[in-house]
Amino acid sequence: MKLSPRIVPYLQVAPLTAVLLVFLGIPLAVVVAVSFFDYDDFAVRPAFILRNYLELFGSSLTYTLYLKTLTYAAVVWALTLAIGFTVAYFLAFHVRTFLWQMALFLLCTVPFWTSNVIRMISWIPFLGLNGIFNQTLITLGVVDKPLEFLLFSDVAVVIAYVHLFTLFMIVPIFNSMARIDRAIIEAAVDAGANAWQVIREVVLPLSKSGIALGSIFVVTLVMGDFFVVKIMSGGQSASVVLAMSNEIALLQYPPAAASAVVLMVMVMLMVAAILRLVDVRKELSG
Amino acid sequence: MQSRHGANKRPWSFYVLAAFFTLFVLFLYGPMCAIYLLSFQGPNGGLTFPMHGVSLQWFAALFVQHRTGDFAGSFLRSILLAVLVLGITVVLSVMAGLAFRRRFVGATLVFYLAIASLIMPGLLVGLGIGLMCQLVGLQPAWYTSALGAQLTWTLPFGLLIMFAVLSRFNRFYEEAARDLGGSAWQTFAHVVLPILLPGIIAVALFGFTLSYDEFARTLLTVGPSNTLPLEIWAMTTNITSPALYALGTLTTVVSFVVITAALTALAVLQRRRAQRRPHAAVTR
Amino acid sequence: MADRTPGQNQPRITRRGFFQKALATASVAAGAELLTGFPLVWAQRLKDITLLQVGGSYSAIIDIARQATKDLGFKIEMQNAVTDALVNRVATQPKSLDIADIEYWMMGKLLPRQVLQGIDLQRFKYWGKVVPIFTKGEYPDGRKVSQQGVSPYEVQYLEKPNSTALAKGPTRWATLIPTLYNADTLGIRPDLVNRPIAHWHELFHPEFKGRAAILDVPSIGIMDAAMAIESRGDITYGDKGNMTQEEIDKTIKILIDLKKAGHFRAFWTTFDESVNLMTSGEVVIQSMWSPAVTAVRARGIPCYYTPLQEGYRAWAVGLGLMAHLSGLKLDAAYEYLNWYQSGWQGGFIAKQGYYSSVPETVKQFLTPEEWNYWYEGKPAQSEIKDPYGNHMENAGHVRDGGSLWERMGKVACWNTVMDENRHMVRKWNEFVAA
Repeated sequence: MKLSPRIVPYLQVAPLTAVLLVFLGIPLAVVVAVSFFDYDDFAVRPAFILRNYLELFGSSLTYTLYLKTLTYAAVVWALTLAIGFTVAYFLAFHVRTFLWQMALFLLCTVPFWTSNVIRMISWIPFLGLNGIFNQTLITLGVVDKPLEFLLFSDVAVVIAYVHLFTLFMIVPIFNSMARIDRAIIEAAVDAGANAWQVIREVVLPLSKSGIALGSIFVVTLVMGDFFVVKIMSGGQSASVVLAMSNEIALLQYPPAAASAVVLMVMVMLMVAAILRLVDVRKELSG
Repeated sequence: MQSRHGANKRPWSFYVLAAFFTLFVLFLYGPMCAIYLLSFQGPNGGLTFPMHGVSLQWFAALFVQHRTGDFAGSFLRSILLAVLVLGITVVLSVMAGLAFRRRFVGATLVFYLAIASLIMPGLLVGLGIGLMCQLVGLQPAWYTSALGAQLTWTLPFGLLIMFAVLSRFNRFYEEAARDLGGSAWQTFAHVVLPILLPGIIAVALFGFTLSYDEFARTLLTVGPSNTLPLEIWAMTTNITSPALYALGTLTTVVSFVVITAALTALAVLQRRRAQRRPHAAVTR
Repeated sequence: MADRTPGQNQPRITRRGFFQKALATASVAAGAELLTGFPLVWAQRLKDITLLQVGGSYSAIIDIARQATKDLGFKIEMQNAVTDALVNRVATQPKSLDIADIEYWMMGKLLPRQVLQGIDLQRFKYWGKVVPIFTKGEYPDGRKVSQQGVSPYEVQYLEKPNSTALAKGPTRWATLIPTLYNADTLGIRPDLVNRPIAHWHELFHPEFKGRAAILDVPSIGIMDAAMAIESRGDITYGDKGNMTQEEIDKTIKILIDLKKAGHFRAFWTTFDESVNLMTSGEVVIQSMWSPAVTAVRARGIPCYYTPLQEGYRAWAVGLGLMAHLSGLKLDAAYEYLNWYQSGWQGGFIAKQGYYSSVPETVKQFLTPEEWNYWYEGKPAQSEIKDPYGNHMENAGHVRDGGSLWERMGKVACWNTVMDENRHMVRKWNEFVAA
């Protein structure tokens, strides 16, 4: 059966689109609708009111939460980018065989096959006052007393985020780097460039799409998180979605929905900004 | 950078970067150390140090379902679900990624649908799908509604990674294969797929890991039997036992065994292929 | 699954003996009723039924399901969920479970949604033996139970089986069958806190700066805070469990000030966090749950569940029947409810420190020493063990706070959902973000 090449893309993209439309499109439509509903203690009533949005924008809590979450996102992005780029660079250019690259990759992935929840819980015996890290520092004589800020603080939250999400930065960047034609690099070296110049002028620009994708992943993950913040900050920090989850716990769906819509618009804008800097799709079909 | 001449000599930057990488791996495994040590916790010990004696009791506790939770059952469910998600994600993402190489009507919409899927808070996705099931009369279950919910999480990742992989994909190989008389399927299976393989492996890994660790979306769509993250989290309103840590240690050990086996197999395969065709070196 | 508590304790009647005797009697006289109250013929029809109970992991315990399946002949399954997921699941996916194992305060949210059906108390054998807190809203000595917060009695009865209106007094139709309950208070490290603690306001005492913690659940955390604030005299609440907007604002302001001054080490989310914070000494005074205190002591660290002058914050959990149950499944559900309160389950959870709403039946499933320790507040005459045989308390120890009525008799308020919970959640979010 010969398929016209015009139809082929539609057939290829159909299954994915179908899944997303059913399992995302419908909940999304419901969420947008519910964000305009009214509610009281007893039920959620279909309506079209703007009160949820007005309360959201009128409350200083919203801005505090967004500031907090955006700060987390920015810090985590910077750290994961720095670490991720370096690790990806090492794997792409200094590790010689595919087998070794795979092996080292998988070495990094294995901790993720211990459920997230277990690892969250294990941070406490690791970073706590009596934990391994503090005890090591004390034994080595670096500090006299255990460091309190390591756990139940913003520092702990950032550490946990970096721990969880660096891999999401490494994979796309590595993919981009792996595609760089070695001939270009050799040409640059021959032309007299030192290592830093090669990185700045050759590797960085050619890994742009990988960096963009990694950034999209990391930013999205941080903006949408509530679990890590809740556990690692010891309930002392909030994020946008954590506030949302408190509302859902009491079945207060309309304000949670309004919060979600605003969050999605905000993150969508951030993603669009990243894509404006690096047009991933153009690189794809170009 | 590697020098042109001494191909076997490592520049100093290699050692610096290798050291950095080692630190990174240590960072990743740091909390795991706590897990490994504490999984040998004595019978009266808890989830933190100090150790109250040493025992293998918690490993045994994993296989018996009692107050400490149905770890064995939920673990199997999580693995099965993750494998399902892996399979579906790979197939659908590769297909869709290939579709995006051409311009087609609705491409932007699908792309932003995928982005929306990424950024929509998981709790609400789960809530929405649960409501949908109620309305339609379907019972939520881990292999239907939870599967769909997790796909909304993994498919965007898969799609975007395919973008990254395909953006440097050189069409010439495809065209050359076609010129040499290959059919569409042959071109795909023998030329495109092998070149895309690292990317596909990345999508597979992401799909599996994201599904296995997924929490928010699964919370309200899982139906009558919990997956592992939900089971563990539900147990935390009661005494959690170091059996959790035993689970972590076991999964690590099993993962290492599986990976070593897979890589050894891959190495053997590669060597055999190189022996059969000594002139066609597989370059990357 | 052993049908005796592991260890050397010999219950007076074993469950297997109990039921075997009943079975023997029934099989002799065909059609005679078994202990659980249904004829053998009917038992055959019910044996293919499966009931799914969903609840918190402190209540919906798999061992209970196993015993029930054994005793009843049809299958009981348990699923655990955290509170947030549980209330959302019951509200939005009512057909996906059969028995809701929920806290009483959730009734306010669930009743209008009509996801549960009224329970016919005429089909429940033990209602007359349920402690009067639930049936009449009073203590055995006649005093009225505090109605601050959502007291179970307020939400116990319905006008009609499927109405959304609560009845003001006892009727034939119940919302939930109460199963377990307890009185919560502050836990302290007596070795690190070198003086007696007698009031809730000690939670905010500057002496414990950086060493205090409360629970990170909005509706409960704010109650503990309110108890402490009222004890300190800052505010006198009309109803701590149902604050006005100004009361909420003032309470949160005090909490924010304390937080900024660094008074709290953390807010704990999981049971184990509370245990770990106490065990490691990072926290010396915090809101705690009874089994957590026991867990700390089982590790050899002194921990005391202090009875305080202002009273306890209490909570209660009950079983509800989902609205979609009917026919044979509904019959099976009633059999299950009756089995649940026939004593085995009560004996099981007693050893976690929770009280059963029908103490009479529980007595048969505990040894006299255990009964005296857990319910009567008498010193333990031998080592007290948990249901799995692990050590819990040493001989000679007296349960913190004393007997059932010494503790439950001093309830100041109940776990709650406030009328102003919308405002409360927003304010709580502000507190967390501060």
